[in-house]
Amino acid sequence: MKRYLPAIAYFVVAGLAPLVVKDAFFLDALVLILIWGAAAAAWNIAGGYAGQVSLGHSAFFGLGAYAAALAVTRWGLSPWTGILIGAGIAAFTGMVIGFLSNRLKGPYFVIATIALSQVLLIAASRLKGLTSGSEGIPVPFRPGFWTLGIADKSVWVWIVLVLAILVYLVQVYLERSRRGFQLAAVREDEDAARSLGVPALHLKVAAIAVSAAFTAVCGALWAQYIGFVDPAYVFSVDISIKFALASMIGGVGTALGPFLGAALVTTLETTLRAQFGGVGAQFIGTYLILYGIALIVIVRYAPRGLVGWIGERWGRREAKPA
Amino acid sequence: MEVIPQLVVSTILLGGLYALIAVGLTLIFGVMRVVNFAHGEFLMLAMYAAFWAFTLLHMDPYLTLFVSLPLFFAVGWVSYRVVMRPVIHASHNAQVFTTVGLSILLQNAALVLFTADAQFLRTDYYTVVLRLGGAVFNLAQTVAFVIAVLATVSLFAFLRWSYTGKIMRATAQDPQVASLMGIDTGRIYALTWAVGITCVGAAGVLLAPIYPVYPTAGLQFVLIAYIAVVLGGLGNMAGALIAAVIIAAVEVIGSYTIGTAWKEVLYLMLFIFVLVVRPAGLFGQRGAEALGT
Repeated sequence: MKRYLPAIAYFVVAGLAPLVVKDAFFLDALVLILIWGAAAAAWNIAGGYAGQVSLGHSAFFGLGAYAAALAVTRWGLSPWTGILIGAGIAAFTGMVIGFLSNRLKGPYFVIATIALSQVLLIAASRLKGLTSGSEGIPVPFRPGFWTLGIADKSVWVWIVLVLAILVYLVQVYLERSRRGFQLAAVREDEDAARSLGVPALHLKVAAIAVSAAFTAVCGALWAQYIGFVDPAYVFSVDISIKFALASMIGGVGTALGPFLGAALVTTLETTLRAQFGGVGAQFIGTYLILYGIALIVIVRYAPRGLVGWIGERWGRREAKPA
Repeated sequence: MEVIPQLVVSTILLGGLYALIAVGLTLIFGVMRVVNFAHGEFLMLAMYAAFWAFTLLHMDPYLTLFVSLPLFFAVGWVSYRVVMRPVIHASHNAQVFTTVGLSILLQNAALVLFTADAQFLRTDYYTVVLRLGGAVFNLAQTVAFVIAVLATVSLFAFLRWSYTGKIMRATAQDPQVASLMGIDTGRIYALTWAVGITCVGAAGVLLAPIYPVYPTAGLQFVLIAYIAVVLGGLGNMAGALIAAVIIAAVEVIGSYTIGTAWKEVLYLMLFIFVLVVRPAGLFGQRGAEALGT
């Protein structure tokens, strides 16, 4: 139980914060921290636990965002149905990519995932009849829980908190279950794992599909929350890098790491945006310079990120490899 | 069919530029087994170098080459020493994240320093075209093509005949045996990285009079370079050259027949198709994509 205390504290604080603080700017940041945290954790299922590093996860994020937005604007469905459709499409796409991963290792897989997200970016920009192209789709605000038209940001915090906890539990499952151990074996030495009868391909495909589905749910909720979807943002390489960056800084292959990383990345980003919005807009890039340096340093000195680094200092059990 | 000569000319001019970007990438991969995800950012920096030399010092972009080639060699050498050397024997994922970190760093340094506005380097001869037969040659593109071909040929000659080039190829074939033969592989890696960055630095200067430059300008070109490198078989230099021309042909013919809107999708689809059918690339050895992972 002790090893889960930091995570329980993290989620309890996030869940209780809206009861105490009513400041809209703070609650907005909290919603984004939890969405990006859940997305980074979803990336971590594939990139950390399964060892399939992707820099094209924005493909799934964008598929979810568009599915939810189109469900509302074009097909007259509830955004909740749209979220399920998006998750389904993303899971299927993830399975296809997962099968590719059997033939493409390391950098090849990374390039293939970037190419996938770019194909979807161009398709979404050009299929004007379906997606309105580069103009993007504004998501109309219809009050009600079923239509996700919620003005109260505290409710949003709780909705994305449920998602964040779900993804966290999937990661804990991968740390404790037989399948999780098998997946770790495949990540460390696929040939050895296969020779012991581990169904390597099935596990990798499943991990990437689950990762893709959760990323799509994050994208869908993000689109409903922000109220606008445009292809250049939701399918960008920048977002894919953001997921990987948050995981790496917090601790890749650890359950709490991505949430910590996302909290750091998002806090600094929103603070700088508030500082430099408008005229000095280019200075928002300073936080990414810092994170670029942080990434290089972390890979070299603390490959298991903040969680691993703190764990080593305190000798906690959670620092041990999953 | 009067357009055919023009399509051929456009393909070859475009292919020459793509080849110069791809050749540095494939050299680095062939010798060091590292995919440089910051390659596009070095290209973008070289475009900015040419732009600022032109805007502030009124230097002709092609004269800039004499300064920027040694400069980018030095930039490459230093970035290897500081960033790449610690992870050269680390896992593929560590190398991927290190070059991605470098890419984020350079891209946003450019954003903070130069803002996100697209900048144009407009020379006096920007609109000059040459006519030969039924085809039209844009002057800047033609000069870029000629220099790109010269650079690529001299790189090939260097690898083929010079002593250092032979050592590089030996290191690419088997780093352990190479170091047993007394080759300082660490130095060779630094040199390879620096030469690869010099190639992309040259490409950036040549692109500057043709395309606008902005902090994320590298992405569109480097994506093409990745595709060329994988299609040609990672590490296969001649393969990358042929693949660069194939991509240029797909782009030019696709733009002519179905419009420019979908040209990127065409070569990305070609790329994914080749990855699925023959992941070692068109000219690579079978199974090479799984080596050392």
